Amino acid sequence: MIENLLAGFSEPSIRRALLACILCGAGCSLLSVFVVLMRMPMIGVAMAHAAFAGAVFGMLAGVHPAAWGFVFCLAVAGVLGPFSDRVRMAPENVLGILFSFLMGLAFLGMGILTRTKAAAFTLMWGNLLSISRRDLVVLTAVTAGVVIFIALFFKEIRAVMFHRRIAAASGVPERIIYYAVLFLTGAVVSANLSTVGGLLIFALLMQPGATALQLTYDLKLFFIISAAAGTTACVSGLLISYILDLPSGASVVVMATAIFAAAYAASPKRRSAGPAQRNPHYAKDSR
Amino acid sequence: MKPGPVIELEGICVRKAQFRLLDEINLHISRDEFVGLIGPNGAGKTTLLNVIAGFERFSGNLRLFGQLENRQRSRRTRLRVGYVPQLFDIDLAFPIRALEAVMIGASGRAGLFRTPGKAERERAMHLMKMMRVDHLAGQPLGHLSGGERRKISIACALLQQPEVLLLDEPTANLDVAVQREVLHLIGEIHAQEAVAVLFVTHDFNMLPLAMQRAVFLNRGRVVFDGAVQNAWTGSALSRLFEYPIETFERGGRRFVSFD
Repeated sequence: MIENLLAGFSEPSIRRALLACILCGAGCSLLSVFVVLMRMPMIGVAMAHAAFAGAVFGMLAGVHPAAWGFVFCLAVAGVLGPFSDRVRMAPENVLGILFSFLMGLAFLGMGILTRTKAAAFTLMWGNLLSISRRDLVVLTAVTAGVVIFIALFFKEIRAVMFHRRIAAASGVPERIIYYAVLFLTGAVVSANLSTVGGLLIFALLMQPGATALQLTYDLKLFFIISAAAGTTACVSGLLISYILDLPSGASVVVMATAIFAAAYAASPKRRSAGPAQRNPHYAKDSR
Repeated sequence: MKPGPVIELEGICVRKAQFRLLDEINLHISRDEFVGLIGPNGAGKTTLLNVIAGFERFSGNLRLFGQLENRQRSRRTRLRVGYVPQLFDIDLAFPIRALEAVMIGASGRAGLFRTPGKAERERAMHLMKMMRVDHLAGQPLGHLSGGERRKISIACALLQQPEVLLLDEPTANLDVAVQREVLHLIGEIHAQEAVAVLFVTHDFNMLPLAMQRAVFLNRGRVVFDGAVQNAWTGSALSRLFEYPIETFERGGRRFVSFD
């Protein structure tokens, strides 16, 4: 079995798939920290449908569908923040509106389109084995962008995720950070769509963050645990799918859920916090 | 000599659809003042604080530290105005410890690409000690009680070293002992740190001793602006709340009574 695995890894397409899996796991699971802590689970599915609508538009216009998927994702990310701030609606509600609008737009385009629709569907389901060198370069650049953004602006990110208004009042450039998070989410989703597909991205934007939520009160560690959980789910899912000849996307989702279930079962946060600490100030006063 | 105003509001109006939330508000607050903003529900107290903090669109002239301002604020102006919101509506599962939550107040002052250092951490601990929550520094914020979290939010606002502190019902939903303690601490901070305070409340029997001036707001208008001893009369409060209210004195302090 190991010989088969090693033989498989000598294939360039398998090596590229593995590398794409690691990058996707890292990029999506780092963003899942924002998605989980800022309570925007709809963002993954809305972005996936933006890419889908973009691809259909690209096919209708006779230009590169994946590139248009990318453009639509970034457009949604660009509209979401300012729009929800201006109309004072929760971003989750705006995402619901955008998601249904984009899905409608995509299906409208599908109805008009007379040619084969395979290129558009690839964005929803992905195809790990068809990853090109160029896809990998884009994926690497986007994932590196996420890592650099988090490393450079960690304290601002923490402030904004904690409480947007308090962050703004403290002098943090709250809107720029918040819009940058949304923009990066659009970039990561669109960069990963043609490889792992919209459905897998939705899972990877939720489960690693939810896993970290079970395990730590430290935000730095939260990012690390989330990235480790997402990458482990991706690599182990890909290996299992290769060994057992199963669909890779579904295997990754099952592994991500198994990791979340293990974290939930072992969560130190679920155990009793113990008796409240006695306040020494009151103790002093009562003497 | 009386110090110059740090907050100047002239003809401030806020409209939402056909409603006037604030109607021609004129108000000047000086650097050494502790002002109580009092009024019934829906009077426009929080809206007024949000205008000053830069979270609400408005018409009219707002000057902070002598500079004309709109809703968009420079980082420098933001740093000079501390803000404690009415609802400290945080996610209790958010991975942050009490000291780190206070340190958020130093994020803006530190600037981009610079992590707050030892001096900021020591000041954060000093503020937590003033607020009597220093023993909770390492505790997850979600494990703290509502009163303790309220103290953390005040310490966070103070860590940015503001010259004006906007407090929106800082004692709401706290038990009596904690309310008294928080008010005493805010008074101490006003005196020690020379911070001008604008304090929203509608609890008449829980006023900080440092509060010298009261501003009554009703239906978006200022209906009284003067010394607290003149404000705390049965007739003035009854008019404001449109409900029979009486006042009485005990131990040199004035209290409010109603049916």
